[in-house]
Amino acid sequence: MLCIEKLQLRLHGKSILEDVSFVLPRGHTLCIVGESGSGKSSLLRAVNGLLPATFGSLSFHPKNGRPVSLKGRWKGVAGLSGSRWVMQDPISALNPKLPLGVSVGESVFAQKLSPLELKSAVSAALADVELSPEMAKRRPAQVSMGQAQRACLARALIARPDLIFFDEPLSALDAIVQKQIAATMKRIQTRFDTTFVIVTHDLGFAAAYADHMLVLRGGRVEANQSAETFFKTPESDYCRELIAAAHELGSLSETVAQVSGTKAATPC
Amino acid sequence: MTVQADAGFLEEADAQKSNPEIDLKRFLVRLGFSVVILLVVLAVGFLLSPYAPNEPNFLDRLSPPTTNHWLGTDQLGRDVATRLLYGGVWSIGLAFLITSVGAIVGTAVGLAAGHFGRAADVTLMRVTDSFFAFPELIAAVTIAGLLGPSTTNMVLALILVGWMKFARLVRSLSVDLAHRDFVVQARLNGLPSRRILWRHILPNIGPSLVVLWTNAWSRSILSISGLSFLGFGVQPPNAEWGAMLLDGKAYMQTAPHLMIFPGLAILLTVLSINLTGDRLRDLIGSNELSAD
Repeated sequence: MLCIEKLQLRLHGKSILEDVSFVLPRGHTLCIVGESGSGKSSLLRAVNGLLPATFGSLSFHPKNGRPVSLKGRWKGVAGLSGSRWVMQDPISALNPKLPLGVSVGESVFAQKLSPLELKSAVSAALADVELSPEMAKRRPAQVSMGQAQRACLARALIARPDLIFFDEPLSALDAIVQKQIAATMKRIQTRFDTTFVIVTHDLGFAAAYADHMLVLRGGRVEANQSAETFFKTPESDYCRELIAAAHELGSLSETVAQVSGTKAATPC
Repeated sequence: MTVQADAGFLEEADAQKSNPEIDLKRFLVRLGFSVVILLVVLAVGFLLSPYAPNEPNFLDRLSPPTTNHWLGTDQLGRDVATRLLYGGVWSIGLAFLITSVGAIVGTAVGLAAGHFGRAADVTLMRVTDSFFAFPELIAAVTIAGLLGPSTTNMVLALILVGWMKFARLVRSLSVDLAHRDFVVQARLNGLPSRRILWRHILPNIGPSLVVLWTNAWSRSILSISGLSFLGFGVQPPNAEWGAMLLDGKAYMQTAPHLMIFPGLAILLTVLSINLTGDRLRDLIGSNELSAD
């Protein structure tokens, strides 16, 4: 479904990503974990064509939408067709001048819906993320962080994407809202059979959520395992350290890992 | 101790913070009312004034302010108050026209520079820079001098030297906006660039544009008056505040009212437009912050 091979990214002579590969089947969740500057966000940007990859290949076969296959140096692919991206800070990801409904509706601009169809599609998408239809008229300054992030989620959902990228979708939110949004994400994934790629700092969240783990460190892959084996038998010392640290902080415990879709209240 | 005091003040300040959006609306309403009142006063002035602005009356030359001529008469016996009213239309109206055209041209150039690739950016901004190299008034004097003194030539000259500030502002703001998350999202979601420019870029630079525009407006009233005073702008017998100053210059000792009143008119107009612009900037500025 999404397959990245030997992705390499260099910016201004500096190596950002080296030899990153992973395969992600449809309907699964990949959590990308790593410290700041490890290249998590750059990986998302490169996959979405915001940064030029210097080498490597990408292939993406969405259910509906044209398949994408890129090799060598690729850049300028503005988003993969059939995918959407939910960003870290929902407030800055929404145009402050536009009501939420317009922002959500723009996601399907290419489909050229009639105003009536668009309106009902927006209402349906807002309902999918548990927002009332009145929210469509509010501007970002008039809603809470959680509501704004739900609107961003609706903006992704309305396009019925096969793949949604999340860039630390919860780190701007407080614990209760984190929990609610994580539950909504889970529900959406089971309902629409969507593939998730989630960049996160939070191992507790990853443990509850991921099917596959990709650990990055300094632009290189430190571990690329299924989540189950990763948390039992991590591939490297760095990963063991990571898991131990998360255990000490209390963000990762067996119970949390089993109560899927929820996460412990820990500061990010 | 100090920490406590600080905390207390901060909380109080936060509690007193009013909603900037409401403030802005209230201010705009007040501004609208003031403009309407001003227009009514002007209209009443036009209707009530028994004098024509350009009609000489040699029996009543250089009269100081009297009950018949509230602001006196000039060397040809024309009523200064009436001429001030008509002159205001020239000064304020022409400045409005010049600034608006400049704003539109500058915005178009700035958006094009910010959005149509590196080559367009470099070319357009170098052109803008080279226009900046000319001192505004001197360039206008040169152009007006080359083309001959007339109102049209002055307007052209001032437009030619006035659009760059808009271009530069719009370019820098739109380049900055292009990296903001919501514009990146719009691009990733496949919106055509026309819609991105109209819906995402322009509305977000609009407030700054309005502020710059009011600023440029008052400046260009000064430029028009300055050029007219130098004889390059509005030509006699038309009443323009700068031209009136020029007319009155010869009689400065004997009939100072010929210079005082047009001077006051310029001062008050420019001052009020500037103050309005400042208030607008403060309100829009705080509004922007809350929106971010």
